[in-house]
Amino acid sequence: MLFSLAYRNLWRNGRRSLLTLSAMIVSLALLILALSIFSGMLRDILASATEQYHGHLVISEGDYQENHDLYTTLAETDLPLIERLADSDQVTGLSPRLRGYGLISHTDNSYPAELLGVHPSQEAGVTSLQRQLVAGSALNDGDDRGAIIGETLARRLGVKPGAELVFVTQAADGSIGNDLLIVRGIFKTGDSAHDNGLLLVPLGWLQRTLALPGQVHEVALAIADPMSAPETAARLRPLLPEGVSIVDWGTLLPQMREAIASFDVSRMIFSVILYFATGLGVLNTLFMSVMERTREFGILMAIGLRPGRIRLLVLLESILLGLLGASLGVAGGLVLCALMRDNGLDLSAWITPISYAGGTLPPRLHTVLELRNLLDPTLMLLLTTLIAGVFPARRAARLQPVAAIRMD
Amino acid sequence: MRRPSRFAFLIIFLLLPSLAAAAGLRGLIRKIEQQYMGLSSKTVMTMQVRAEHWERSLTMESWSLGREHFLVRILAPAKEAGVATLKVERNVWNYLPKVDRVIKVPPSMMGGAWMGSHITNDDLVKANHIDEDYTFELLEETPEQYRIACLPKPDAAVIWGKVVYEIIRPQEVPGRVTYFDEKMVPVREIVFDEVTRVAGRVIPLRMTVQPLDKPNEQTVIHYDAIDFDISIKAAFFSLRNLKN
Repeated sequence: MLFSLAYRNLWRNGRRSLLTLSAMIVSLALLILALSIFSGMLRDILASATEQYHGHLVISEGDYQENHDLYTTLAETDLPLIERLADSDQVTGLSPRLRGYGLISHTDNSYPAELLGVHPSQEAGVTSLQRQLVAGSALNDGDDRGAIIGETLARRLGVKPGAELVFVTQAADGSIGNDLLIVRGIFKTGDSAHDNGLLLVPLGWLQRTLALPGQVHEVALAIADPMSAPETAARLRPLLPEGVSIVDWGTLLPQMREAIASFDVSRMIFSVILYFATGLGVLNTLFMSVMERTREFGILMAIGLRPGRIRLLVLLESILLGLLGASLGVAGGLVLCALMRDNGLDLSAWITPISYAGGTLPPRLHTVLELRNLLDPTLMLLLTTLIAGVFPARRAARLQPVAAIRMD
Repeated sequence: MRRPSRFAFLIIFLLLPSLAAAAGLRGLIRKIEQQYMGLSSKTVMTMQVRAEHWERSLTMESWSLGREHFLVRILAPAKEAGVATLKVERNVWNYLPKVDRVIKVPPSMMGGAWMGSHITNDDLVKANHIDEDYTFELLEETPEQYRIACLPKPDAAVIWGKVVYEIIRPQEVPGRVTYFDEKMVPVREIVFDEVTRVAGRVIPLRMTVQPLDKPNEQTVIHYDAIDFDISIKAAFFSLRNLKN
């Protein structure tokens, strides 16, 4: 009875309720859109930071990640075990790597560089370097001495695809490791650290040149949900051989972890500001309708409706308004998100990619739908309308029947 | 016109011996830094390098002319025979026979190890200029030895904060040279011994380079043959000659 009364009350001043409702729907839909765009940016920047170099999880021997010591390689007997472990559920890519530092040279130009020895096809499952080419082509697995090279380094050396490079370093046996490479492709990530000093070369070639046959320094993994990397690392850690460590991207890229935490805070601030405004709107509507119905509440009380029931009635009205607003708002938000999924809004005509915290933000706005982006704003909207309903409900319940009836 | 005061004369008079002494120290250091060169030289040497993970021995031959021309080539082991380094003034090139390419060592790699040893490319280029880039101070003088501290001149582009020479007095050959970093922590020591008269000069035939932060590592260079004042021209120190 009370429920249908509340429902009917809402539509007695339909225009006012509709206006409030539309404010709720628009604010919720826009908030869902904004949060989904936030998530999209977050995913882009995280993807660029992890998929340009590290991968989501990295398995290596001891403290290799701290000092990149040439001799800290994974035991060959550990490799099959690691590959079997990584075969599990959500690992989407796995790439064994060997890392070497030395001098890369072309004609009269020489620069220090980092070489990452990989199986090209396996590396492509973990990092996107081979898809970020601005010239030439990716490496083939059969390529014996091909290399893809960072754009800035290539420009400084003055090389184009097809050009020859000389690499010199001190090999693991103390000898002077040196050999030729042929530039196959040139990548550009937007991250200067990699663009001006990184080369991807065949694993076998680097093992020969460094005199480390069959050795690798690390195994990089890609997983389906990068945000769950710490949990996956914790799950795999006890299964790894003694002395072998696993780190997630948050350890390798602490700035990125902080950037993401700050994203979460700004999400929260954004939501609170928006709902403060929406809440004031709902409060206004309900107060007005309670004031207008002072006389009516007086009569209801006079014929025996208890104050508690009156309070419940007004609260029910606000909850109904909230539920209606929330469901339509979610629907609206979903439509907006769907429109901006995939490619979204291309801003490359106006802004260039932004490098931040080791990642690169491409100039586009697109949405990624996450459950919490729907759930959080919806719950907050319901809470807001409920709180906005409490004050008018209390006021209505405190009316004195006789005085209320006499009011105009 | 004011006459120069007697006091000024006195100052100059008192300073003269120490100015002369500084010039003497400079000459001494210069002589020691060029002990293996003379006007020109040809040597055959063995370099033994011990590092944490490996140990190896290289036989090399070298030529020098003055202090600005130096060429060294590996003779053995076979795997690296023909690898050569050319220094002309402050430039260093390496030749790699395996790929038949010459590489110019960039400024950023000057601090890197030369041929895998505990000698840096920078040592090849700058050590011979120590008399130009540093000022000198006599720390100790005994009948047996001098101890001389070298401090970099304010504008000199050098990597050491201080270098201390212990020079054996009768023969005027170095006994020990200690290198300090900019925090004045000793980081490297070179000990010279086997002082012998060769080709009319008295020189230590063996030098041991000891990185003080890595007690298990060292580089020992032994001069197996050395010849001074040979007839050699600057044209010999060319990129073309680097290759053969």
